[in-house]
Amino acid sequence: MTSILEAEPIINRSASKVHLPEKLTAAGRVGRTGVWVVLLVYGLLSVVPMVWLLIAPSKTAAQLNNDAPFSFGSFANYGSAWEHLLTFQDGVLVRWLLNSVVYTVAIVLLSCVSAILAGYALAVTAIPFKRTLLIVTLVAMIIPPVALVIPLFIEISNAQLFDTPAAVILTSSFYPFGVFLAYIYFSTSIPKELYEAAKVDGAGEFATFWRIALPLSKGLFGMLAFFSFSASWVNFFLPYVLLGSAENFTLPVGLGVLFSSTPALNPGNGAQQSVIGRPEIALAGLILAIPILIVFLLSSRLLVRGVLSGSVKS
Amino acid sequence: MIAPYLALLIAFGVVPIIVAAVTSMEPSALNPGGGPLNYLQALEDFRFLPALGNVGVFLLLYVPTMLIVVAGMSLLLDTVRGRWNVSLRLAYIVPASLTGASAVLVWYFLLEPTLSPYQDILRALGITQGGQIWRSENLAWIFALMAFFTGAGNWIVVQYGSLQSISEDILEAARIDGANAWQIGWHIKLPLIQKYIVYMGILVFAAGLQVFVEPQLISSSVYPGLAANWSLNQLSYSFAFQSNNLGGAAALSLMLLIVCIVGAVFVIFRTDFFEGSGVKEK
Repeated sequence: MTSILEAEPIINRSASKVHLPEKLTAAGRVGRTGVWVVLLVYGLLSVVPMVWLLIAPSKTAAQLNNDAPFSFGSFANYGSAWEHLLTFQDGVLVRWLLNSVVYTVAIVLLSCVSAILAGYALAVTAIPFKRTLLIVTLVAMIIPPVALVIPLFIEISNAQLFDTPAAVILTSSFYPFGVFLAYIYFSTSIPKELYEAAKVDGAGEFATFWRIALPLSKGLFGMLAFFSFSASWVNFFLPYVLLGSAENFTLPVGLGVLFSSTPALNPGNGAQQSVIGRPEIALAGLILAIPILIVFLLSSRLLVRGVLSGSVKS
Repeated sequence: MIAPYLALLIAFGVVPIIVAAVTSMEPSALNPGGGPLNYLQALEDFRFLPALGNVGVFLLLYVPTMLIVVAGMSLLLDTVRGRWNVSLRLAYIVPASLTGASAVLVWYFLLEPTLSPYQDILRALGITQGGQIWRSENLAWIFALMAFFTGAGNWIVVQYGSLQSISEDILEAARIDGANAWQIGWHIKLPLIQKYIVYMGILVFAAGLQVFVEPQLISSSVYPGLAANWSLNQLSYSFAFQSNNLGGAAALSLMLLIVCIVGAVFVIFRTDFFEGSGVKEK
């Protein structure tokens, strides 16, 4: 659902914003206070789950049950929760984490490179069926990726790629949204004259791209990588369906395994004496969520200020 | 230069649809003759109508809530400037980092009265055990709540962004005419960002139709069987992996896909969202 975050044509208004001192009536002041209450309460509701998850692994299972929800346990408990997680199936969690990192890096690279090249080709070069390609790309971008999972599964099993890292990496590298963003960027943000000047100087399409477009695309690459990363890091359904053995699983799929094979969330599951309890599973969830949180918070500055607006200014 | 993308587009955008279309005609144990009967059998499966009903209720709760809250909150956010605005936006995008498996985990904790940060509220409502909340009649509400919190914050920030595209002249003219903040929001800003709201509505609907992760994880581990075959995608998954009925799975997922394609085509050709992107004929 974040996938369209920066596609809107946005003109930065705040720079030219003039503030007029407004006289507030009594009713206006009440309304103003109401607005602040709503905004702040929603902000609070937004951060409570994450704050809770950050604190949870600092407590023991007993402390989680008995202490106040936002009390802090100790830093040592993060360490012991991690130790406990490592005992699960001979440290398979590390394997999942590693898989997630490797798959995600490969997906981000493949998807962004193919998207930037295609966006440039669609925006600047003369290729046949340009409009058809654009429409197909848009349709593919609007359809939720989940809709193709079962068809992809059938295709991947026919191709004998089931339960291989390549199955997840290749299918996830199809990135129509990135192509569209790159297409908008190259057709609006870089003056056409720059491309034409390069061509007059005798540069071919690829040389023009390499010398003119690419050096101006750092912001675009960051934006594409941001969306590609946040989609593939947390993707559940696709790897869940395309992978079969635990050694190939990603962290989100592995988290599902933890849910179903430890008594942390359901006392009826798994061995009662398992050391994987609620603090441990909270830590596993936190490891999954933290990279996304960091990337979101760091990129939001770009996102809300210039980059999104700058890149699609019409 | 377009070759790498074109290869991916064909291999993982077009071919899977063709493969699924072919598979959907193949015979299965249930339908030894193969053919279009697979589609009919998928629709006639005893789990289909309940799943359709579940997803329908879920969408009825989720989509309008998203539209109203996101539009309202982004308008409210637009009345605030400066550092507070930045901090609020940062706060609003935090829940987007808890999606899928980690969202299920967090909501399990939030709705568990012994652990929840909202335990006082839950107890005041007379809820002392998670089992009182996790009941089949509440599932549509719970999944709508989860989906809403995961997506709304980001969309508020996006729609706030689309509000920034409104020219200051228009707003200034309205103020001079004596419009108050409420009137400006309702009569001027909202109509001007309408196309972004419609666009969001269709994306949110298409994604909601495909709901899978939350019911699947809850049902396969936390509360076994509680949400089994709750959504249409879960049913499609069951056809494929439990009933060994790939034809039915392909048929059902193709029907869902077609609904999404219709939505996509509608956005592209019947709204002015992609105006100026070179897609429409001039």
